[in-house]
Amino acid sequence: MIFALPKLLSLGLRTPTPMAAITSGSMWPVLRQGDLIFIQGIGAKDLKIGDVVVYRNQINDTFTIHRIAKLEKEFITTKGDANFQEDPPVKYDNVVGRAVSVFKKPLRIPYIGSITVFASNFKNSEYVK
Amino acid sequence: MENSGNQTPQQKKESKIAKPEKKEKYRMRLSDKIIAAVLAVFFICIFYIVLDANKYRTTVRIMPGEGMVGINPSTASLDFGDLSRGASAVRRVALKNGTNLPMYVAILKIGSISDLMDISKNNFKLKPRSEEKIEFTVFVPASAEIDKTYSGRVYLFKIPIF
Repeated sequence: MIFALPKLLSLGLRTPTPMAAITSGSMWPVLRQGDLIFIQGIGAKDLKIGDVVVYRNQINDTFTIHRIAKLEKEFITTKGDANFQEDPPVKYDNVVGRAVSVFKKPLRIPYIGSITVFASNFKNSEYVK
Repeated sequence: MENSGNQTPQQKKESKIAKPEKKEKYRMRLSDKIIAAVLAVFFICIFYIVLDANKYRTTVRIMPGEGMVGINPSTASLDFGDLSRGASAVRRVALKNGTNLPMYVAILKIGSISDLMDISKNNFKLKPRSEEKIEFTVFVPASAEIDKTYSGRVYLFKIPIF
């Protein structure tokens, strides 16, 4: 069941990455560090300003979860709610999906994603070194 | 007076059954005693660690504007005073290990301020007879609510390593 869940979610949400852990506070207070969120695959024409999207960040090859601030022909511009500046424009191809929302708020499971965060923090802590 | 000699074999059997059984006294086995002792030591250790932990009340109030720092608060507690969006404040706590045992230091932050606070060092080993300074930084993000006070508590646990 545990092993089948990501595959089932992947099929249901039409994306190869159906879940993501929040590792920073850039979307605070909507999303908090350690939250687990669900991602649904979405077409470029269905994206709207204000949607919380997940995209592959080409600069550091990681996933970023931010809110759409501007929609242009070839690019979208996102911004973290807690950030003061907008992110560099992102191509539509790099958008992985949109955060699954309930009552216009991203659906999140608190603390579950922190297992990943804790593991990475512990790995980098001095005690391990 | 009853004469037991006159009892039938059936009556004899019944009187045997009716006899109250002697209660067996429960005695702890050696393994039970060891488990109880280990659990007692474990709980005493946890109790000591929790009791010995340094506890700090933390608070920050968000004021209008951007990048401004308000009243300079006292350094006695982790009071970050009034900060506007984009501003940050640092408080330092000196942690001293006066014992001959190394200590494992773990810091726990709770409350609404915990998302805004960054700790310079956490989950580390403090050498015997040494001192370490820990920095607590609060940065107010763009999405912080103006005129709201974010507060919480910080627990600094020191666990002796044998």
